[in-house]
Amino acid sequence: MALTDVRVAHTEEPKHAPPKRPKFWLHRFDTKTFPYLMVAPFFVLFAIFGLFPLLFNAVVSLRHWHLIDKEKNGWVGLDNFTKLASDTDFWDALVNTFGIFILSTVPQLLIALMIANVLNRKLRGATFWRIGILLPYVTPVAASSLVFAVFFSRDNGLANWFLSLVGFGQEQPLDWRAGTWSSWIAIAVMVNWKWIGYNALLYLSAMQAIPKDVYEAAAVDGASPWRQLWKITVPMIQPVVLFTVILSTIGGLQLFTEPMLFDENPAQANGGYDHQWRTIAQLIYRVGWSDLNLGYAAAMSWALFLIILIVAGINALATRRLGGGK
Amino acid sequence: MEQFGRRALRLGAAGLVAALAITGCSGKSTENSGGGDSTITLKVNFWGDMGLDQLKTKYEAAHPNVKISLNTGEYQAQHQDLQKKLVAGSGAPDISAVDEGFIVQFREQADQFVNLTDKGAGALESKYLPWKWQASKSAAGQQIGLGTDVGGLAMCYRTDLFKAAGLPTDRAEVSKLWPTWDAFLQTGKTYTDKTKKKFIDSATNLFNPILSQQPVGFYSEQEQLQMEGGPKVAFDVAMKALDSGISANLASFQPNWDQGFKQDQFAVLACPAWMLGHIQKTAPDQAGKWDIAAIPGGGGNWGGSWWTIPKQGKNVDEAYKFVEWLIQPEQQIEVFKTVGNLPSQPALYKDPAVLDYKKEFFTNAPTGQIFASTAENLKPQYLGKKNGPTRLAVENVINRVGQGTLKSADAWAEAVKEAEKAANS
Amino acid sequence: MSSRLLSRAPQDTPGTWKSYLGLTAILLVSAFPVYWMFVIATSSDEAVMSSPPALIPGDQLMVNLREVFTMQDVYFTASLINSLIVALAVTASTLFFCSLAGFAFAKLRFKGNNVLMFIVILTLTVPNQLGVVALFIVMNELGWNGTLLAVIAPGLVTAFGVFYMRQFIGHAIPDELVEAARIDGALTLRIYWTVVVPAIRPALAVLGLLTFVATWNDFQWPLITLNGTDYPTSMVALSDLASGNYVVYRRVLAGAFVATVPLVILLLAGGRQLVRGIMEGALK
Repeated sequence: MALTDVRVAHTEEPKHAPPKRPKFWLHRFDTKTFPYLMVAPFFVLFAIFGLFPLLFNAVVSLRHWHLIDKEKNGWVGLDNFTKLASDTDFWDALVNTFGIFILSTVPQLLIALMIANVLNRKLRGATFWRIGILLPYVTPVAASSLVFAVFFSRDNGLANWFLSLVGFGQEQPLDWRAGTWSSWIAIAVMVNWKWIGYNALLYLSAMQAIPKDVYEAAAVDGASPWRQLWKITVPMIQPVVLFTVILSTIGGLQLFTEPMLFDENPAQANGGYDHQWRTIAQLIYRVGWSDLNLGYAAAMSWALFLIILIVAGINALATRRLGGGK
Repeated sequence: MEQFGRRALRLGAAGLVAALAITGCSGKSTENSGGGDSTITLKVNFWGDMGLDQLKTKYEAAHPNVKISLNTGEYQAQHQDLQKKLVAGSGAPDISAVDEGFIVQFREQADQFVNLTDKGAGALESKYLPWKWQASKSAAGQQIGLGTDVGGLAMCYRTDLFKAAGLPTDRAEVSKLWPTWDAFLQTGKTYTDKTKKKFIDSATNLFNPILSQQPVGFYSEQEQLQMEGGPKVAFDVAMKALDSGISANLASFQPNWDQGFKQDQFAVLACPAWMLGHIQKTAPDQAGKWDIAAIPGGGGNWGGSWWTIPKQGKNVDEAYKFVEWLIQPEQQIEVFKTVGNLPSQPALYKDPAVLDYKKEFFTNAPTGQIFASTAENLKPQYLGKKNGPTRLAVENVINRVGQGTLKSADAWAEAVKEAEKAANS
Repeated sequence: MSSRLLSRAPQDTPGTWKSYLGLTAILLVSAFPVYWMFVIATSSDEAVMSSPPALIPGDQLMVNLREVFTMQDVYFTASLINSLIVALAVTASTLFFCSLAGFAFAKLRFKGNNVLMFIVILTLTVPNQLGVVALFIVMNELGWNGTLLAVIAPGLVTAFGVFYMRQFIGHAIPDELVEAARIDGALTLRIYWTVVVPAIRPALAVLGLLTFVATWNDFQWPLITLNGTDYPTSMVALSDLASGNYVVYRRVLAGAFVATVPLVILLLAGGRQLVRGIMEGALK
């Protein structure tokens, strides 16, 4: 399009248009229609790869959609969901997911808050520290999970060696993968490690937006730095805290990579011999792509979606209550 | 910062163009590889080591237009992956190994595989152990696979560790130590008491061979789960082993198991013929420190595979040629010598190349004699459609007892529950 | 400059030795797993198995790397190229489509602008991971499963990117500038290219970095669609390395290290932009 030599006069009336003005239809197209074309890619792609799968998921969940036992395939109404309600595998996985979620979210956000509070001070090399704590964020989860999987091995694991330094487990090394709690803790460590720095930066940015005179006013009351953090800073950054709580909920309840690669043999998607650390996302993977029972996996996905909505809602309310409670 | 932005932008734009070009190209090139006189690539999927490395070179040298791509992987994962690709209708390898634990599952889907009788495999029937030939045949008579090996059963042991524990080291004498599994456990106890070291690698590696010695496994031929028969017998021995503290509790084929080899964490390992290759590969510097004795409780078969050709492949004829070549005596004997896998063609059991073969790694044990004699008299077990997942579920329960999170007294009920779940998955 | 204020605000309180000690500890903890990945990647089996395990790098890096790259069933070399293709394609397309849409939402008047923007923000809350079962079926219908297209297509444009670009363009570009260009007769696409793009380079850098990191590191969906094919991404290849029948830690972590290096380089080169992007409220 040779647009460079086009010059437009001030008036928009097409009949007064000098010969060199853009054609009326082009101008009209450019201002009326073109903006829609600019935003269309998002909506089209989201419709195909985001919204449609989610809705179609609902359809699949109402069918028996088994890739091997095909003879039974067809509409089954809510059968998948009633089966889900009495499936101990699902409820066990739900408990695991929540256990790991709490062990990883609470310390994550608290430690992030502390770090942000330190970073909020006047520091030498402020940028250096900020970049430094982002290293876990850029490290691939798959890579870091594998490191931790080795770190937490029973024989000759580094974690056990550290424990032995403080006199624990010298004669019988801790088998991190065997116990429910120990495996949850190991996985929570991975999640915490990954996200603390990221959340600290989110908090830091909110803290820096707090006007200084807020603190000035409080200084008169003689607030210690600790009280300052809890009485002034945290309530002031409450929206961001809320945001991180919701983010961690969405992420935490879909936890997949860490438990998956923590298995000695990831290909089996066991989540421990007793499935003691198998999360819902992992169970969905197992049911969908090992058992090839897609209908049932879809029902689980929808159940998880609802659970996330509910939990995120509760968390949002609770955080608002806590932060705003005067 | 400004600069970085500009650079990133330019890089990104270049990347997009490159990416589109490359994805476009690679899509085309795979299509092209099918026809004409250009070289074709045969993708072969299997697990562990099936002794194909040298055979591949040999075959490629003789067939310049064929390239063999070997893809080893994890046992469960390879079968699951094959299943996934079959239902997806694309992406399956040209040739896939299928283990006896999964053969029923796949022969039920015989339509997804090339019927090898159509390619002239019928003539090969007389060469095979009859049960081996039957096992890969569908109810409608389609032959989906050509047998490679049978497992057989023996007990591998570390001569150096036995000696240190004051146990005999000669294979005949060692075999006499354990006519029964109870005697075997007793020997283990003696060993562990004396050396303070564990005797076996894991209880699952007792459960599996013992189960394979039973007349009926997890499933009856009517596909009924029958836990109270064979599985119970094998499970009880596994529990006794765990209770007596002779197991190192290392999950097979995992990094800790590999380390266990190198650190002498166990002294015996139930070994079907195909296990010999694993031992050699995992602990190459223990050559001469291993030997092979008879297994307690008599003969049985654990494992053994078939080569199958999924129908969706583009080069099924070339794939069949390669498979047919692979199962010829000469190649089967070479596989036997390199990794230990015992052929499933009885004529070879009389072949001097097998019969007189002595394996140096295993203190010159006559592996041909040891395994061939058991293989010929085998009464094969029926392995059900859900045998693979069921075995995994029961193994998980045994491992829980090993980890100390489940009492052995409660374990059987748990095993039954998990097996039923797997049967209905 | 803050003499007017009481120096009680944290921003004006200088860090004490305790602050620096704490930050150093955090930094060590952050770096240790990556460091130890390198240690194991450079060690022999004996060093990995000894007690205590190796804590100082060994001299086996080349040996281990050669093993990783020559395992033909893992396709490690190809996986790195695949990851690069996917990450670059997704990043480039995200930058283009998001800035285009962001520009429209921020500066152009068209009917439904606000409603559509609200929908974009709403979609931010949809955890699309939950649609994987159906996405798998969709990709199967398209015949894309097992190809790189299956992992590229869903990431071509993100709600967050549109939102982020709209915010940035709204602040960074005065309305008058757009109007002036229009009066000069420039069409929208031309204004985008000559006025908007030059002004939003910093934002493009930030969004580009975030997108690249997220795409490179993506695991679940690539695992589902690409596992067992000849076109894995590096994350899928890593999980393959960790689940064969002969898993060797030093090899697994050598692979993990190689897959991490590009991101560490990115962090060193673009750390400032990343920090800024996240502090401006980036989602993962």
